[in-house]
Amino acid sequence: MSYDMIAIMMFSTMMVMMMTGQRVFGAIGFVAVLAAVALWGDGGSNLGFSAAIKLMKWYPLLTLPMFIFMGYVLSESRLADDLYRMFHVWMGPVPGGLAIGTIFLMVVISAMNGLSVAGMAIGATIALPELLKRNYDKLMVTGVIQAGSSLGILVPPSVVLVLYAMIARQPVGQLWLAGVFPGLLMAGLFIAYIAIRCWFNPELGPVLPADERAQISRAEKFRLLRAGILPLLIFLIMMVPFVTGYTSLVESSVVGALAAVAAAIIKGRFSRKVFEEATRQTLAISCMFMWIILAALAFGAVFDGLGAVKAIEGFFVGKLGLSAWEILILMQLSYLIMGTFLDDTAMLVIVAPLYVPLVSALGFDLIWYGVLYTITCQIAYMTPPFGYNLFLMRAMAPPEISIYDIYRSIIPFVGVMILALMLVMIFPEIALWLPDYVYTK
Amino acid sequence: MPNWIKTYVKLVDALNYRIGRFAMYLLYLLMGVLLYSVVSKGLGTPANWPIEMAQFTMVAYYMLGGPYSLQLDSNVRMDLLYGRWSDRTKAWVDAFSIFAMIFYLVVLLWGAYDSTVYSLGLKWVDTEVLGLTIPWPQTGFLERNPSLWRPVIWPIKVIMVIGIFLMLLQAIAFFFKDVARLRGEEL
Repeated sequence: MSYDMIAIMMFSTMMVMMMTGQRVFGAIGFVAVLAAVALWGDGGSNLGFSAAIKLMKWYPLLTLPMFIFMGYVLSESRLADDLYRMFHVWMGPVPGGLAIGTIFLMVVISAMNGLSVAGMAIGATIALPELLKRNYDKLMVTGVIQAGSSLGILVPPSVVLVLYAMIARQPVGQLWLAGVFPGLLMAGLFIAYIAIRCWFNPELGPVLPADERAQISRAEKFRLLRAGILPLLIFLIMMVPFVTGYTSLVESSVVGALAAVAAAIIKGRFSRKVFEEATRQTLAISCMFMWIILAALAFGAVFDGLGAVKAIEGFFVGKLGLSAWEILILMQLSYLIMGTFLDDTAMLVIVAPLYVPLVSALGFDLIWYGVLYTITCQIAYMTPPFGYNLFLMRAMAPPEISIYDIYRSIIPFVGVMILALMLVMIFPEIALWLPDYVYTK
Repeated sequence: MPNWIKTYVKLVDALNYRIGRFAMYLLYLLMGVLLYSVVSKGLGTPANWPIEMAQFTMVAYYMLGGPYSLQLDSNVRMDLLYGRWSDRTKAWVDAFSIFAMIFYLVVLLWGAYDSTVYSLGLKWVDTEVLGLTIPWPQTGFLERNPSLWRPVIWPIKVIMVIGIFLMLLQAIAFFFKDVARLRGEEL
């Protein structure tokens, strides 16, 4: 049997195993070690475990539990309540203003945290009930929260970009900086979309009634602005020592996590329950990620051994005779399609190692591709049938919002995200300007 | 189900719960180690051990915490089809597909054992123990991390062996639970 054939068989066996609904790490790991033992016998038996050693030595991965912990502290201690109120009061008088305020809120949370879970939890517990109470269109609301929270993985700090950095062997600092403007661009496009829709169709996002607005004095309005200080402080405490090179990436994430705890303690919200919840959930989510990555590293090692990447490259360039750009567009399309079926972590650790060497062989910038890749992941997070955000939303949303509402609500926002993806593809400067500016100074 | 299976499931559940609850707090050890690194840099005497110490802690964290995360059912499944099945169908499919996971863990354990033996330079030497001549383990050359700190590597590998073994025990417990569910029992 040819090596290409083995690679295809491995991939399809893995898909079948995942379809059985067995835990993803078990399904991937099984195929990996079975292939390794079958191909290389006794020597192959160590392949699974050598992935664990490889994983141990990959230092930036330590940011993962830190950001997960930080996200849970931020959402469980309800630190974002004041922040939401601030945007609520200031954006209330505009049609669709509360939805726009929610996007702002999500950008701020994204700047403090590297995953989309925190934004999702905060959006669903704080913004969602408020927006529904104000008669906002429920499709608009669920769409806004899902799209907004997905910014968490694009705006630095970002865990997805840390994982990408591992696979592509690129510096995390530059990748994070590259995510800044695309993230803001996408947030801007979301806001533009909401504003335009609500301008033409005000009942989608009614303005805050005048009597309610009159209740809030000007002084109160300015006092609320203080809510913005705390997140800004957390962001600065975390990012300034990192950018100036005093702390390493991992150390910064610890500082950030502790800053979040300190903020919660100052606000008097770091209760026993918050502590327990944050600690337990951090273990649960970290273990899930680590075991999947462990299994996927083994899978990737077998794929490398088979030379599958060369085979794919040969297929695209040699057999189909495509140009570099055509291949890139095809890759993004295939990602989008796979993203709807595959779990995003699985996508990250299985498909990326196949594509990244191909991208660099075609002569594209890997930092830039990291941003494209993250946007694609964001879309995958949101598209049915398998989207992490969709499940979270279903778990957190009130019962009057059905799963079909949630599915329908994301369509326009996915459209906006694809637009952002295309913009970053056509104008790489959007991503690359900032890291170039900072690192060539 | 036979009593010994019930006892086994109960024991494994309790054991992994306790160990998982312990591993959960390693997160704070991890933070402490990294914070020490930041502080020691500030004092002008950067320590040489925090990076490796943090890596070891992380490994212990997810290896020993793994079985507990299985108990919490936090490990994602692809529920495209799975989500629509009845509990009975789920139990049927799980009772078979769990063997894929068990197989993976067994191979992992095999590799972990080999690697630990290497790190300890372990040899089985015929030794007289209580008047009997039996092979007895003897450590040889101890593998060290090639770094400034040069820690011996076997302790973390032993922890990994334990972690993977506990995962295996938990996976087998899941198999028993699924079989019990098919027979209308709940373990």
